[in-house]
Amino acid sequence: MDVSLFVFVSLAMFTIGIIGVLINRNALIFFLSIELLLNAGNLLFVTFAREWENQTGLIWVFFVLIIAAAEAAVGIAIFINQFRTKQVVDVDQYDVLRG
Amino acid sequence: MLYVLCLGLFMPLIGFVTLFSTARFIGRWWAGVIGCGTIFISLMCFISLLITYVNTGSSPQTFLLYEWIHFNSINANFALHLDPLALLMTLIITGVGFLIHVYSVGYMDHDDDYARFFACMNFFIFAMLLLVLAAELLLLFVGWEGVGLASYLLIGFWYQKPEAAEAATKAFVVNRIGDLGLLLGLLLTFYLFHTTDIVTVSKNVETGFAVGAPVITLLTMLYFIGATGKSAQIPLQTWLPDAMAGPTPVSALIHAATMVTAGVYLIVRMHDVFTMAPITLQVIGVIGAITSLYASLCALAQTDLKRVLAYSTVSQLGLMFLACGAGAFYAAMFHLTTHAFIKAVLFLSAGNVVHMMHGTTEMSQMGGLSKIFTKTHWLFLIAALSLSGVPPLAAFFSKDLILENEYLVGYEFLYYIALAASVLTGVYLTRAYCLTFTGPQSNANQHDDVKEAPSIMIAPVLILTFFAIFGGFLGFSFNRTPWLEDFISHVEVTHIERELTTSFVWSYEGVLAIIGAIGGVLTSALIYTKYRDKLGNPIEFMKKSFYVNEIYNFLFVIPLKYFSNLLANLIEPKIFDGSVNVLAQGTQGVARALQLVQSGQIRAYVAWMALGAVLLIVYLVY
Repeated sequence: MDVSLFVFVSLAMFTIGIIGVLINRNALIFFLSIELLLNAGNLLFVTFAREWENQTGLIWVFFVLIIAAAEAAVGIAIFINQFRTKQVVDVDQYDVLRG
Repeated sequence: MLYVLCLGLFMPLIGFVTLFSTARFIGRWWAGVIGCGTIFISLMCFISLLITYVNTGSSPQTFLLYEWIHFNSINANFALHLDPLALLMTLIITGVGFLIHVYSVGYMDHDDDYARFFACMNFFIFAMLLLVLAAELLLLFVGWEGVGLASYLLIGFWYQKPEAAEAATKAFVVNRIGDLGLLLGLLLTFYLFHTTDIVTVSKNVETGFAVGAPVITLLTMLYFIGATGKSAQIPLQTWLPDAMAGPTPVSALIHAATMVTAGVYLIVRMHDVFTMAPITLQVIGVIGAITSLYASLCALAQTDLKRVLAYSTVSQLGLMFLACGAGAFYAAMFHLTTHAFIKAVLFLSAGNVVHMMHGTTEMSQMGGLSKIFTKTHWLFLIAALSLSGVPPLAAFFSKDLILENEYLVGYEFLYYIALAASVLTGVYLTRAYCLTFTGPQSNANQHDDVKEAPSIMIAPVLILTFFAIFGGFLGFSFNRTPWLEDFISHVEVTHIERELTTSFVWSYEGVLAIIGAIGGVLTSALIYTKYRDKLGNPIEFMKKSFYVNEIYNFLFVIPLKYFSNLLANLIEPKIFDGSVNVLAQGTQGVARALQLVQSGQIRAYVAWMALGAVLLIVYLVY
C-alpha cells in the first residue's frame, strides 16, 4: 500500500482535530479533538515504522497512548471540577488565568 | 619591648571599645576610671620605654605586627617604628592627654554623655598614637583619618547645638581637602618607591633622586597639603577657630597633644624627603610665616576667649612650619613640645573660667575675675608669659631657636615676619589675660555662684604649668648638648649646607627676641589696664579674620550650594529620576501589551501554538 494514503489520512485527522479544538467551545468535544490530534501522530508513527521496518515508532505509539490516557483522566477530572464550580462546560469561560 | 609598646598603643583602644559598648549603662565613676586609667597605663608604658631607651641607648627599631597588603610589587605592613622622635610624640600625647582626661572628670561632671565623651577622647589618643608610631605612611594615614574622625565626634560632641554640629562638619570637610593631598602623596610614594615604609623611602630618596627633582617637589607638596589641613595652616586654617564649639578639654586635646601637631610631625618625620625639595621648603617657610602673622593679627581682635587661644595655636603652628621651612626640624619639634604644655595650660585654665561661668566664652562678660579665680589666673598668666617668650620660661627657648635659625639661614624677611608674630603673641595673650582677669567686674559675673574651680580641675593644670615653666630646659643647657637635642639628634639635617644653631646664644637676634617679648607684654598690659575704657571695639576687619570665611563662602561654598541645588532640582528629578521613570513606564507599557496575549482562553493558546507550528514548518522547509 502506498504510504502517502496513510499520510493524507493522518493529515486529515490532524486538520479536523485542530479545527475542532479551535472552533468548539464544548469541553468534551475539545477533548475529543485533542485525542484526534494525538492519534493522527500515532498513525504516522505506525505507518513509518512499517515502511522503514523500524520498531521504534511502535514503541513511541505506546508512550503516546499512555500519556493520552493519563491526560484524559486528569483532564476529565479538571473539567468535572470546573463544571461543579461554574455550571458550564464552555472552555471560553475557563479563563481565570487571564493576565 | 614589643609587648610594652603594643600595650601602650592599644590600651586607649581597649578603653574606647569598653566605654563605647557599655556607654548606656556604665556608671559615671567607672567611665572616668576607665577613661583616665587606660591613658595612664599607656603613659606608664611609654615612660618605661623612654627609660629603656635612655639607659641602653638603643637604636630605632621597627616591629612588624603582621603583613597587611601584598600585591605584586607593592608591600604594606602593619608595622610600628619606635625611635626617639616617635617616643617624644607618644610621651606628649599620653602625658598631656592623661592630664586633660583627669581634668575632664571635673569639667564634664554635669554632662549626661559622660561615657561617650571619654570613649571619643580615648579613641582620639589611640588614633594619634597610631599616627606617630606607624612605620609606614599607609598606616600613618589610618591614624591620620582616625584623628580626623575623633575630632569630628568631639567638636560636635554637643550635637544639639547647631553651631557645634556645623563646626564639626566644617572641621571634617576642610580636613578632607588636606587628606586628599596626603592620599595623593601616598599613591605617588607607592608609584615611586613601591613601598611606603618611612625608613626605606628616606633611604631611597637620597640615592634615587637628585636634589630638587620635580617629582620629589610634587611629592613633598602633596604631603604639605595634607599637613596644612591637619595643622590649620593657610589656606585650610578656617576650621580651627570654629572648632571651639566643642567642650574645652577637647580644644585642649586638639591644640596641645593631638591633631594639629600631626602636620608638623609628618614633615619632621619625612624630613629626609623634604630636604630633597628646596622649593617646597621655601613654600612651607613662606606659608608658615604668613599664617603666623595672620593668626596673630586675628587673635588680637577676638572677643571670645577660646578663639584668641585658637588663633594663637594657628600662629604658633605657623612658627613651627617656618622652622621646618628653614630646615630647623629640631627647633620645630622643640617648639611643638613646649607649646603642647603651654597651650594645654592656657586652654584648661580658660576652661575653668568657662565652666564656672556656665559656658560663657565672651570676654566682655568677664573682667576682674582674678578675685574669684585666685589660682586659675596665676596659671593662665604664667602660661601666657611663657608662650610670649619671656625668659626663662619654656617657650622662650624654643621660639628663640626658631627665630635665630631663620636669621642664620638668611631668610631675613621671614625672620622679621616671625619676629612680629612672636611679639604679637605677647600682646594678644596679655590682652586676653587683662580682659578676663583684671579691671572692673562686668555685671554679668556678679553672681554669688561663680567660684574657683574644684581641685580636680586645678591639679592637672598645675602639673602642666610646671612643664610650661621649666620645659625649656629640656632643650637648653649652658655647657653641654641639651638633653632634647641629644635625644632626637637624628632629625637634624645632614646633607643641607646650613649652619643651624640648636641652643640659645647671646646674639643680636636673641636679644631682640627678648626685648620684643617683654616689650609686647608690657605695652599690652599697660594699654589694657590703664587705657581700657578709651579703646573702642576691636577692628571689625581683624575680628572677622580678614573675612577669609566670607571669601571662602563666596568662592567655594555658595557656588557649590548653587551647583548642588542645580543638581538637586534639575539634574536629579529630570534626568536621573526621569530616565528611571521612563524605563519603568516603558516596562509597564510592554507588560500591558503582552498581557493581552495571556487571555486565559485555552482555544486562543491552541491557535497561537498551531500558528507557531505552521511558521516553524514553513521556516524549516524553506
